[in-house]
Amino acid sequence: MFKNLITESTAKSPWLFHINSGSCNGCDIELVAVLTPRYDAERFGFKLAGSPRHADIVVVSGPLTQQSLPRTLRAISQVPEPRCIVTIGSCPQSGNVFKGSYSVMAPLSKYVHVDVAIAGCTPKPEAIMDGLVQATEILKEKRKAWLEAKKNGLKDGPKAETEQEVPAAEDIPASGEEVQQ
Amino acid sequence: MDLPFVREAVKNLFSRSSCDMYPLKPSEAAEQYRGRIEYDPTKCINCHFCERVCAGGAISVVEVPVEEGTQITRTFDLSTCTFCNTCADFCNTHAIKLTKDYHMIGLKEGDLLVSGTFVKVAKKKPVPPPAEAKPEEKAAPAIKPRDDGKPVQDPSKCVYCGICAKKCLGEALTVDRKEKLWKLDEDKCVSCGTCEEVCPKKAIIM
Ligand code: SF4
Ligand code: SF4
Ligand code: SF4
Ligand code: SF4
Repeated sequence: MFKNLITESTAKSPWLFHINSGSCNGCDIELVAVLTPRYDAERFGFKLAGSPRHADIVVVSGPLTQQSLPRTLRAISQVPEPRCIVTIGSCPQSGNVFKGSYSVMAPLSKYVHVDVAIAGCTPKPEAIMDGLVQATEILKEKRKAWLEAKKNGLKDGPKAETEQEVPAAEDIPASGEEVQQ
Repeated sequence: MDLPFVREAVKNLFSRSSCDMYPLKPSEAAEQYRGRIEYDPTKCINCHFCERVCAGGAISVVEVPVEEGTQITRTFDLSTCTFCNTCADFCNTHAIKLTKDYHMIGLKEGDLLVSGTFVKVAKKKPVPPPAEAKPEEKAAPAIKPRDDGKPVQDPSKCVYCGICAKKCLGEALTVDRKEKLWKLDEDKCVSCGTCEEVCPKKAIIM
């Protein structure tokens, strides 16, 4: 009974973990604005979590600098499944104007499966809210599949084709190698 | 005992919530907000200026030769764009517009691409086969630079976009797109080379 209660409550309150991977702070500020009384994303149950282990949705901003990439991936791998990965702004999707720099490792989709991409530079808080609401829908689907798999005895949940393994930090090529070739 | 803010607290208890209630109440972006790109392929003359000025390299173009000319597909990648409006500013024919639409959510690949296709009809193309009739004339349009260092236009490359005339500091150039006219006022020209530099089609030689 308790388990059901927990499952139902977590579905209504997805917690966010925000990773800044070298963002200019534009996107971060808009994400914070989403949580202010004016936009009030807490109506949907969103809450910033202090630790990736408490989170359901990972929000990534910034162009994934060489320094932050292993740390970002480590933080993402600590978020328990089922999880949903959301990118904010152009940076994590493509590198934006920093694309091609020796120290920028974007896009994030090269390393993990990105569920929702919010475009804009920076996106309006309303757009971020749209994206997060989409993410909750995806999360609900994932959780359903996950519970189904658990019932069928799969301890690690379903391994959907879209679900990529998060690569270990030492497997990531230094971008310098890529650039020089 | 002095209880601070009690009045404020009681007042706020009964006042309206400061929340915008966004998804229930749609909200419009501010004036001059730059959101989703709108591209009008019917206006585009394929001068390639937008690609040249885009800092993020968000614009790509695919040219496929078809029967009547060239089929041109220009794609704006909103996930690379910084929404700086530079492309729209530089587009001489106003084919690009950044709208106030900010709902740009990508759930799968291709969600964040805006593209348009048009066919550019080749002009002066020998449509019937008499290609072998005038072989000498084909070699002729290879224009030569002038001796006095003033610009020469290559009519086979020029698309009459008028960018050179706009940028000319001495106002020595007259370009009329409708009349297909490119005229140089030699007295005003100071041989600065600006037109050669800005010409997106490399149609000016000096
Ligand atoms: S997408 Fe734009 S606003 Fe967001 S972090 Fe990158 S540069 Fe800054
Ligand atoms: S600048 Fe305008 S006219 Fe020129 S290629 Fe781009 S969209 Fe077309
Ligand atoms: S708005 Fe700026 S970044 Fe976006 S396509 Fe145009 S020039 Fe490129
Ligand atoms: S010569 Fe002038 S009008 Fe012709 S393509 Fe070049 S810039 Fe445009």
